[in-house]
Amino acid sequence: MTTFLAYTIVGIATGCIYALTASGLVVTYTTSGIFNFAHGAIGMVMAFTFWELTVKDGWPQWLALIVVLGLFAPLLGYLIDRLLMRNLHGASTSTQIVMTLGLLLLLIGVATVRWNPGEARVLPEFFIGHHIRLFTINVTYHQLTMIAVAVLVAAFLRLLFTRTQIGIAMRAVVDDPELASLTGADPDRVRAVSWALGASLAGLAGILLAPLVSLDIILLTLLVINGYAAAMVGRLKSLPLTFVGGLALGLAETYAIWKLPTGLLNKIRPSLPIIFLYLVLLVLPQAKLRAGRAVSLRRPPRVAGLGESIIGGVALVGVAALIAPHMSRSDLTLAGQGMVFALIMLSLVLLTGYAGQTSLAQMTFVGIGAFAMGKYFGGASLLGILLAAVLAGAIGAVAALPALRLQGLYLALSTLAFAEAMSTMFFKNAAVFGYGGRLAVGRPSVLGVSFHGDHAYFLLITGVFALAGIGVLALRRGKFGRKLVAMKDSPAACATLGIDLTFTKLAVFALSASLAGVAGVFFGGLRGQVGPNDFEMLQSLVLLLLVTISGISSVTGALMGGLTFGLIPRLQQTFKSVRSLTYIGPGLGILGVGRNPYGYTSEFAPLGARIRRRFGRGAEPPAGPAGDGSAASANLEEVDDLVGVAG
Amino acid sequence: MSVLRVEAVEVRFGGVTALGGVDLQADAGRVTGLIGPNGAGKTTLFNVITGLQTPTAGRVYLDEQDVTHKKPHQRARLRVARTFQRLEVFGSLTTRENIMVAAEACQSWSNDNENPKVVTEEIIDRVGLRDVAESPVDALSTGLARLVELGRSMATRPRLLLLDEPGSGLDNNETDGLARILVELAGEGMAVLLVEHDMELVMRVCSEIFVLDFGRLIARGNPTEIQADEAVHAAYLGTEDDAKDTALEQVEEAVL
Ligand SMILES: Nc1ncnc2c1ncn2[C@@H]1O[C@H](COP(=O)(O)OP(=O)(O)OP(=O)(O)O)[C@@H](O)[C@H]1O
Ligand SMILES: [Mg+2]
Repeated sequence: MTTFLAYTIVGIATGCIYALTASGLVVTYTTSGIFNFAHGAIGMVMAFTFWELTVKDGWPQWLALIVVLGLFAPLLGYLIDRLLMRNLHGASTSTQIVMTLGLLLLLIGVATVRWNPGEARVLPEFFIGHHIRLFTINVTYHQLTMIAVAVLVAAFLRLLFTRTQIGIAMRAVVDDPELASLTGADPDRVRAVSWALGASLAGLAGILLAPLVSLDIILLTLLVINGYAAAMVGRLKSLPLTFVGGLALGLAETYAIWKLPTGLLNKIRPSLPIIFLYLVLLVLPQAKLRAGRAVSLRRPPRVAGLGESIIGGVALVGVAALIAPHMSRSDLTLAGQGMVFALIMLSLVLLTGYAGQTSLAQMTFVGIGAFAMGKYFGGASLLGILLAAVLAGAIGAVAALPALRLQGLYLALSTLAFAEAMSTMFFKNAAVFGYGGRLAVGRPSVLGVSFHGDHAYFLLITGVFALAGIGVLALRRGKFGRKLVAMKDSPAACATLGIDLTFTKLAVFALSASLAGVAGVFFGGLRGQVGPNDFEMLQSLVLLLLVTISGISSVTGALMGGLTFGLIPRLQQTFKSVRSLTYIGPGLGILGVGRNPYGYTSEFAPLGARIRRRFGRGAEPPAGPAGDGSAASANLEEVDDLVGVAG
Repeated sequence: MSVLRVEAVEVRFGGVTALGGVDLQADAGRVTGLIGPNGAGKTTLFNVITGLQTPTAGRVYLDEQDVTHKKPHQRARLRVARTFQRLEVFGSLTTRENIMVAAEACQSWSNDNENPKVVTEEIIDRVGLRDVAESPVDALSTGLARLVELGRSMATRPRLLLLDEPGSGLDNNETDGLARILVELAGEGMAVLLVEHDMELVMRVCSEIFVLDFGRLIARGNPTEIQADEAVHAAYLGTEDDAKDTALEQVEEAVL
């Protein structure tokens, strides 16, 4: 009994941290409708800043706390809202997601430049050395501080949201900004306040957590994922339920530590929050469909016809065959890698570009593909490609299943958690790649033709990309593809046409995972071997961002995005002084996407149209009435709505 | 037997009562009107009928079958279709693809043996969208996009068609075309429920009209009765909405 009590107290302390992390997420989401994937990164930056002020510059803790949580964090939150998020209200979920992911990478990049990860840093616990003894275990003052802070924060938020005018306005803004403005609150100001507050809460959690884990940029950034489950208990909106969720998670984890045999525990402990998350997903009620779609004033890229896409594919392979003989071995590897990335991005064109669903686990499926090929076929058999596709698709379907009933955001959240779980449980598991080891993945021979040489293998990958591109386009022009785009453009309209979207979502997710799995075979074949660190979740994010920047709705976008990704190592060699170009580049580049969600390749559309006219290929469809006409009517509708609300 | 029967439907949003116990029906073979000032609850009622909004009380019957707890796609399969006041077109698909999605969906869940391609082309001609069949719908004017929604909703061969302000944004010619289509559809035995602010259009095509104000039914009757109804006049004139409507008209003129 006493042991039980002791563990309960420790569990509450852990739960408080989860609750704290999650509460910041919920505060910004309730008010702005934007889920801040960079929440953990903000906490990380604030923890490092706190370290710099206290440990490095010797400021007293209280002063540093005031400056970091009262000045720096709110300022950062305010700037994020002003510069990045303000234009995103009403944008599609997938655009909102990539924007905050861009911020996440940018913050990681900046932190890496400022605080060299090569140096070891320690942030001491608060009241270090003090603890009280409860029955059989020690509870540190730091843990008690966490409980106290969580209670204070909970009380503060409760008062804020129920007693103050700004707090009540904050709750109203996301549902109906115009309505909220009738209560006298300025929605812009309310949102700014919520971002500032969210950033402070992130900072608070980061500073309290850093001493317990370690002052590590990536680790601290990703720790917030553990809080997702807690936030979901409150359906991302309810703070009291979020705290309940946090406590439940903390207690479950502590009891598991107490009761489970160590062997099993060590295996599942890192993924406990993720198991919890999936359980929460299963019990969450189905999402209500809501009318109200994101409207873009930009025209989506044209979909190439069969003839055109075949010409394009042949041309691509032709160009590759022409230049390959003049490329050095390392250049071939680089270009091949670009092509592999392009293939992975193609899987995102299908999933995100067409269907509007977001996966943050694409590299995980790549890893599963590489694993299937290497483990069971050594890499030389074509059957391995089939197995890679089937295995990645099946695992993808299982991973996505619980989130499908819910809004798109939940799918993104659960894939993120899934990717992290796979990374710790599967790829870093000694049974998978051998202890700290590498798994060899070979190159196949097709119909007696060997593709072992670098030159031949590069051409093979290019050919596979061309085929996959033709296939994806054919799919888009068909019945299934139309349904995907319809689902992206208006789920509500789909439902009123009798379309049940659950199966469509599942199918496209599995298909996309399969394609990524196939890409994994070539990813492995190109390198010759794969290891536990090749399939990190952050890579998936970089990939998603790069293809979004170049154009996630088109095969051309995937090709350009892939080649850009392939080039980053080269660029990094040139710009040695800028550490982590991989993060800073895409992080900055994504800012342009708010302006044109179809990416930069879509800017070349007029050029393509001119070329097609020149060659008399397919007359251009008659353009609708001039753009300003529809813009004017859009304005009118807004007026209409305003009047409707007032009436 | 009515195709649609709504019984004592009530919807509250927090403190706002959008619908306060509304009864209504729509019969096969005619156009039923649903009018009322801005914010009267017309769109909300459409959402309740199609399952996008759960009512706080009341029931919805389709062909006397209680569908109050059915999901939107299940109701659609009972041959209910609608258009949206705030457009829900598939903006990155072409006009033809928009209609085709609906025709293909219908083919997949019904026993109809119609070829979706044939259905699509027939509807494109019927609604008069041949010229813009290949254009992405986001590039169309609001009026044309509304016609796309109309065509799309027709492609599932509905028995009950709910139209939320299909006439706004249309020019005189297009409005005439719309009126003709509505009468035709009713003539083929469809039940059409029409929400519309263009009173001339409503009076021209509807055989029965329901009037909502502040979420309550204030009148019901044929066009002549409604035009003579005191309560209806009061609802439209007595509130500031009229002033807003004129303001809106002025804005419209200024913009267009
Ligand atoms: N999701 C919602 N949340 C809160 N209030 C809402 C919501 N939807 C509608 N309302 C309110 O319900 C009332 C009825 O709105 P509704 O859109 O049904 O009116 P309407 O008759 O369609 O008006 P209009 O002619 O302007 O289209 C209005 O007061 C509106 O503000
Ligand atoms: Mg309405």
